[in-house]
Amino acid sequence: MDPDIIFRITNLIALFGWLVLLASPLKPSLAERLSGLAIPLLLSVAYCGLIFAFWTSGKGGFGSLEDVARLFQTRQLLLAGWIHYLAFDLFVGAWIARTARLDEVPFWAVIPCLAATFLFGPAGFLLFNAIRSTKSIAAQPGMSTKVMS
Amino acid sequence: MSVFSETFHAPSLGRPTATGWLKELSARQSVLTGAGVLLVAAMLPMGFASLLDARLFNGIDLWIKPLKFALAVAIYMFTLAFFASWVEEATRTARWFRGLALATASAGTLEVFYIALQASRDEASHFNYTDNLHMALYGLMGIGAVLMIGFSAVLGILIARNRRLDVAPAIRDAVVLGLTLSFVLTLIPAGTMSAMGSHWIGGVHSDSGGMALTGWSRDGGDLRVAHLFGTHAMHFIPAFGVVSALVLGPERRWPVWLFALLFCGFVAFLFFQALAGQSFLPWLH
Repeated sequence: MDPDIIFRITNLIALFGWLVLLASPLKPSLAERLSGLAIPLLLSVAYCGLIFAFWTSGKGGFGSLEDVARLFQTRQLLLAGWIHYLAFDLFVGAWIARTARLDEVPFWAVIPCLAATFLFGPAGFLLFNAIRSTKSIAAQPGMSTKVMS
Repeated sequence: MSVFSETFHAPSLGRPTATGWLKELSARQSVLTGAGVLLVAAMLPMGFASLLDARLFNGIDLWIKPLKFALAVAIYMFTLAFFASWVEEATRTARWFRGLALATASAGTLEVFYIALQASRDEASHFNYTDNLHMALYGLMGIGAVLMIGFSAVLGILIARNRRLDVAPAIRDAVVLGLTLSFVLTLIPAGTMSAMGSHWIGGVHSDSGGMALTGWSRDGGDLRVAHLFGTHAMHFIPAFGVVSALVLGPERRWPVWLFALLFCGFVAFLFFQALAGQSFLPWLH
C-alpha cells in the first residue's frame, strides 16, 4: 500500500473525528466514543502496523536530533510520525471537550482551543488550560454556586 | 438425564454475543482470557503491517507466521480458560494454580511477541541457529512452549480428579482425554521437528508452494500437520464427546475412548507420513 494513500485516508478519518468533536454538544456520548476512543484506536492500529513493518529497516533512532531526522528519511516512518500526531492530537481534543463539559466551560470558548489543538497540538492544550484556570479562579467560593473538581 | 450440567450450560450458551462469551470466559479464568484478548488485538496492527510490508520469508509474506501464531495461541488460551472452571474451586483459586495460569499466559504471549519481533527483523524465530543469542532464544521458546502445552495436561488431570464435577461421563472423559492427549500429541511432533532442525522432510524448503491457508508442504513431508491435529485433540475429542453424549447417551463412555484411540492413530499416521517424506494432501492447492 502506498504511503500517500494511507496519508490521505488517515487525514480524512482524523478530520471526521474533529468534526464530531465540533458537534459534540449535540451528542457528547457519541463524540466521546468516536473521537475520544474509536478513531484514536484505529489510527493507533495504523501506526503500529507501520512501525511493525518498517521500524527495523529504518535508520536512526531517538538518541539525537540527527538520529530523529534520519528516522524520518524513511517515508513510511515519517507517515507513522504524522499518524502519531493525528491520533494523539485528536485524543487530546476529546479530552478538552470532555473536561470542558465537566467543568462547564462554555463551548464557544472551547472551539478556539479545539482549532488550535487540531493545527498546533500543544498550543491548543496550553490555551484550554489557561481558559480553564481563569474560569476556576473566577469560580472561587462566593463567586459561583458550582463545585469545582 | 440432561447431558450438560449447570457448570457447562449456564450462562455461556445463553448469551451468544461476543462480549457475553468474553465475560463468561473471563469469569472462568481471567488471566488466560486476558492473554487471548491481547493476542487477538495484536492481530490488527500485524494484519495492517502485512498489507504494507512487501518482504517475504520462506517465500511468503513474513507477517503470516506471527498472525497464525497469535490466532492459534489465542484459541489455545480461550480453550484453557473455558475448561479451567471444570477444576475444583479450591484448586482453581489456589495460589499455585493461578501462578501456573499466569506463567502459561505469559509464555504464550512472549512466544508470539518474539515471533513478531523476529518477523519484523526479517529473521527466523524457530530454527534460528545463526548465533549463540538466537540459539539461546530459540531454546527459551522451547521451554516456554513446553510450559504452555503442559498446562493442558495439568488441567486434564485436575478435571479427572474433580469428583464434584456435574457433567455427563462421556463429555467429562472426552475433555480429560482431549486435554491430556493434546499435550502428548503436541510434544512428539514438535519435539521431533525441533530435534531435526526443520519441519520439512524432503521437498522444497519453502512455504510458497504450500497448501492454501496452512502452508503445509505439497512436495514433501511436513511435521506441522501432525502438530496441528495433535494440538487440536482438545477440540476434536470433546466435540466428539458432546455429539456422542447426545446421540449415543451421556453415560456411554466407550465411544469416546474409541474415538480418542482412533484420533491418536490418525495423528500417528500423519507423523509417520511426514517422516517418510510424504505430503499430507498433495492434490490440495
